[in-house]
Amino acid sequence: MKKIFLLLTLTLPIAFYFTLPFHWLPDNIKKQHYKLFGLPAYQSLESSRKTKDFDIEDKCPVDRKHWRQATKLDGVDIEASKTCLVDNPALIAAAVKGTNNVDPMVLMESRLTPDAIVKGRDLDGDGDPDEIHITLEVMELNGSSPDYNEEIASYDIAPGIRPGMWVFAPKSFGMSTENFESLKANPLLRAPSPSIRVEQGDKVTITLENSHYMPHTIHLHGVDHPFVDENGEGNDGVPQTSEVPLMPGMSRSYEFQPRQTGTMFYHCHVQPQVHIMMGLQGMLIVEENRPNNWLETINVGAGHVRHRSVASKENYDSEYDLHYESIDKELNNRIKESNDVRKTTKSMHRDYDITDAKNDYFLLNGKSFPYTAQESIIVTKPNQKIKLRILNGSDEGIALHTHGHKFTETHADGVLIPKAAQVTRDVGWIAPAQRADYLVQTVNDGLHSYGEGIWLMHDHVEKTVTNDGIAPGGSGTAIVYEKYLSEGGFPLAMGVDWNRFFIADYYKKNIPVWQSYDENNFFADTVKEPTYALRFALMIFIWTLWVFSLTQVIRR
Amino acid sequence: MKTFQSFITLFLISSLSNALVAEEMDHSKHQMNNMENIESMDHSKHQIMDHSTHANMDHMGEMEGMDHMHHNMSLDAEGMVMNSNDSKLPEDCKAINQTYNITVKAGTKYSVDFPGTIFGYEKHELQVEPCSLLNITFVNEDHIRHQWMVHGLPKYLYPQGMFHLEAAGGAQKSGSFIVPSDNKTYLIHCDISQHMEKGMKAQLVVGKGNGDLPSIPGISGAWINPN
Repeated sequence: MKKIFLLLTLTLPIAFYFTLPFHWLPDNIKKQHYKLFGLPAYQSLESSRKTKDFDIEDKCPVDRKHWRQATKLDGVDIEASKTCLVDNPALIAAAVKGTNNVDPMVLMESRLTPDAIVKGRDLDGDGDPDEIHITLEVMELNGSSPDYNEEIASYDIAPGIRPGMWVFAPKSFGMSTENFESLKANPLLRAPSPSIRVEQGDKVTITLENSHYMPHTIHLHGVDHPFVDENGEGNDGVPQTSEVPLMPGMSRSYEFQPRQTGTMFYHCHVQPQVHIMMGLQGMLIVEENRPNNWLETINVGAGHVRHRSVASKENYDSEYDLHYESIDKELNNRIKESNDVRKTTKSMHRDYDITDAKNDYFLLNGKSFPYTAQESIIVTKPNQKIKLRILNGSDEGIALHTHGHKFTETHADGVLIPKAAQVTRDVGWIAPAQRADYLVQTVNDGLHSYGEGIWLMHDHVEKTVTNDGIAPGGSGTAIVYEKYLSEGGFPLAMGVDWNRFFIADYYKKNIPVWQSYDENNFFADTVKEPTYALRFALMIFIWTLWVFSLTQVIRR
Repeated sequence: MKTFQSFITLFLISSLSNALVAEEMDHSKHQMNNMENIESMDHSKHQIMDHSTHANMDHMGEMEGMDHMHHNMSLDAEGMVMNSNDSKLPEDCKAINQTYNITVKAGTKYSVDFPGTIFGYEKHELQVEPCSLLNITFVNEDHIRHQWMVHGLPKYLYPQGMFHLEAAGGAQKSGSFIVPSDNKTYLIHCDISQHMEKGMKAQLVVGKGNGDLPSIPGISGAWINPN
């Protein structure tokens, strides 16, 4: 018996040596090892998973309902929109005619309530309504439930990415989800809060029905509005100077009759460092007063304006509302932590510290790449004049860069820049809350455009081309010439395969960065050493066995 | 796969214990004989697959999410009534057993007794006999929309198994439905984003019911995420 222990005491150190991770050994010992046993054989890495191993989302669903083509619905002309995903024409028709005037079937299809957008009298007798009453609700996206661990009223900003958000939404009827079997938010519930369009001189009322579980207000940033309304009540939406915030279940109206035109901004002013960043912000555009100027009063999800103002049609060939936002997941996902409103309130307004914050997601019109490619690309022909109305709703500046084009900034914060002072350039710096109107001309003169193609348009603050650090993502989109657009509306890109961007696992870092064209797996993920745990267990086992044997040998 | 899981989750919350799940399965198997039911099942599957695409139906008339079109529905500025039925009997009922006239009030003030919630119904539980006719008057005392929706009713009478009242702020809406003969507990809720999660959830107990549903203020605790 003792012989066995003696043998073990002598042999176990050798076994111990071989269980050590080889790279832990000092170089001179390694050298001796190689001399004795020769160089180690080549060990190949396991290959990574291929794109085809994952479920790929439909990049560009077929437009079976023919929503993309130019159409006339209930007397409302709707321009063609060539991207994959476009607005429901019924929604546009209801937004133009007013939910009180539109055909009841169209209204049903729009899902708006009859009092969502009420258009009243024509006060100046120029053929369009000037009394406009809009009702907004506050909706939560990607919220939590006490009974299952999935986001409810779910809204993907990119494949598999669902940060919590709050948005203003036009008043709608029915369920917040698509139907009882689905947890997905219905199409009216989305980011950003809708763009609102009114005419200069309109008597506008915006009623806020606070359908959310926290207090909110509306502040009309940059819009000509009186500090108090006709009854002397606060009309500025600022809790410290104007009014007590609107509690859940209550409603309040804000009134204004704007004398000046321009691209403006509206947002909640309650605890703005939280509520604006959660998504309670939208674009508010005051158009020039023109005869027969029926406006698309709300543009859900911002983006392409398919029923434009008279002034826009005179001066431009197309118009887009581009609303940039950013999300710090450390803030936005706090709504998922608890269903006790008291805990959520404290977590968001006391525990969260924006001075320590870093943004993770960057949105253009409520989506990040690759979803921006489905609905936010700017489709054009040569020799067009495109109007971009841009709002920076992020808490950081954006450095908007157009590939292949130099744009001209025509308006700053809604105010016309004198022609001589207008600057033409390819990076525009837009501070938080600033608005800029850009004119993009697709004239191939080497200045305004370098010719037809797929030209990216992105914020050049480099983190914004990622989704939480994974590129490509973020608020990037493109100016795409029709020649380079598929029939279905997707860019005919000539570079890498886009399928993998439509896989949730790509943004979970489960697909190597150059997988799609790295046929030899040069850049495949290395396999984590699975032997480590086993090795350590073996080392400990050998060590204890050796100590035990030694004690047996010594005891005699 | 994800949507399938959510479907299952939703399915599960409506019936807590295993035995109940089994009962529920039998029930739906039984219903599969009914053509209308198969149709509506297909339809809902279709809708789930469809989600953000805006694009899977065949003509303009059927807009996305407009499954409401197939319901018996009335909509006005005061709200909406969907699938109201005061005469068609469920297959398993020979006659109306009893008639209940119930008024349900809703509003933020009914959440005061349940700290941590914001929205609430005056009554979070209703108890009725099997095969009864329920005439519901839903009174919304807030200044925003609220809903009173019952789920899990026979799909051959109520598309998607749903009876739905929606009242605008300060308005009231009335409608009727007839419950089947089996002992079952039905989910009642407001489906406006986060209203159910923040307290606007109740249950309708028919006969002996089949167990409390989770997270009903004053009745039951949370199932997964206790506060």
